[in-house]
Amino acid sequence: MVTHIKTKAKMNKPSGPDWNALLVKVGSHQDKAAFGALFSHFGPLLKGFLLKGGGVEPEQAEELVQETMIKVWRKAPSYAPTQAAASTWMYTIARNTRIDWLRKHAKKNHQTDELVAEDLFDENEESSPFTALIQTRNASNIKEHLNSLPQEQLQVLTLMYFQGKSGQEVADELAIPLGTVKSRVRLALQKLKLKLSPEGEEQVVYAS
Amino acid sequence: MINNHPNTQLLTDYATGGLSMAPLISITTHLQFCDQCREAVSGLNILGGELLADCDEAELSDDLLAQTLAMLDAPMAPSAGVEVANEAPKSSLCPDLANQLPKYLHKFLNHQELEWRSLSSTLSVAAISVGEADYELALHRIDAGGKAPVHDHKGTELTVVLKGSFSDEDGIYREGDFLMREPGDIHRPSATQDQACICLSVLSAPIKLTGIKQVLNPFMRFNPS
Repeated sequence: MVTHIKTKAKMNKPSGPDWNALLVKVGSHQDKAAFGALFSHFGPLLKGFLLKGGGVEPEQAEELVQETMIKVWRKAPSYAPTQAAASTWMYTIARNTRIDWLRKHAKKNHQTDELVAEDLFDENEESSPFTALIQTRNASNIKEHLNSLPQEQLQVLTLMYFQGKSGQEVADELAIPLGTVKSRVRLALQKLKLKLSPEGEEQVVYAS
Repeated sequence: MINNHPNTQLLTDYATGGLSMAPLISITTHLQFCDQCREAVSGLNILGGELLADCDEAELSDDLLAQTLAMLDAPMAPSAGVEVANEAPKSSLCPDLANQLPKYLHKFLNHQELEWRSLSSTLSVAAISVGEADYELALHRIDAGGKAPVHDHKGTELTVVLKGSFSDEDGIYREGDFLMREPGDIHRPSATQDQACICLSVLSAPIKLTGIKQVLNPFMRFNPS
């Protein structure tokens, strides 16, 4: 059922409507107008994201966009804007959708299991005790520094995020040692002021 | 306090969707115990969201939105992931064991008979099938004070301590600790005296026993069905 968006989407950022609020509306009121707005904005981005990763035809990319957006519709009631920005939340759903799609199309794995990526990832992935704080801080740090990353670091991140390749697969593709990939990832994350694993490696000072 | 964590590369592989099912499960299991790694993953996901928001748009077919809207009211396929987690636990996972494992693991374990096999008087193993051929996922249990055989690794082994603790030449590992053993590492884990130790482990290739009759080797292989 289509309900009206009572007030105009809040313009809290110069960049456009408040996607988080629209997503909440989808979840709380099954608001198809809000869904349509999200679809029109995120659909082309998702398709661009998938095509940049390669390995999918444009029609397959659209299938994946559709599948992702249908999941967005179904899962929207569990979306909490305090835990994740709409773009982050969409990213995780798109990632999981692609994992399942790739698994379905890979020959080497058995087809008998009914596990889907959504079951495998942490349901509370986004809810660390610091979520709200790091959410805003991280997003603005990333925006600020992403474009100034050295090409070789950006290349590694691009292969990982857009193609869903593991560090080892990136190393194989670029014919460089895994250790080099690891250090490029670490350096990039440090520049973006993202938290690294507490394990072993040198820690960044967490400047706010 | 958790002292052993997946490294940054593994967490990044996790967040970008680069891991196979079994390693993915081991990382998520660690996250059930570890706020620090959860925070790191959260940041990596935000980076994914920013890369998505920053992407060049690719035009969609004109009717894709209309088509999608038409599909929204279709009943949810029964296989959709959301519901799996809500299924009542089946009897195959004995309540005694279930109580000791993070809830997250129940959804895999509820789907299968856990078959414990003894590898020695104090060590047993139960394979968990996730329908993947290149990794072996299993629960290991070392009885209180028991020792596992000395072994080295042909492949990488990931271990998460679920209950109790164990130690080896390098240290002591407690609930939530995550260990990665690389090919060539040799170690001999033993449980602490007070209680049994249960671990989740992922093997990328069968481990090789060191200094023990080769005949034991087949028992160390957990064959995912």
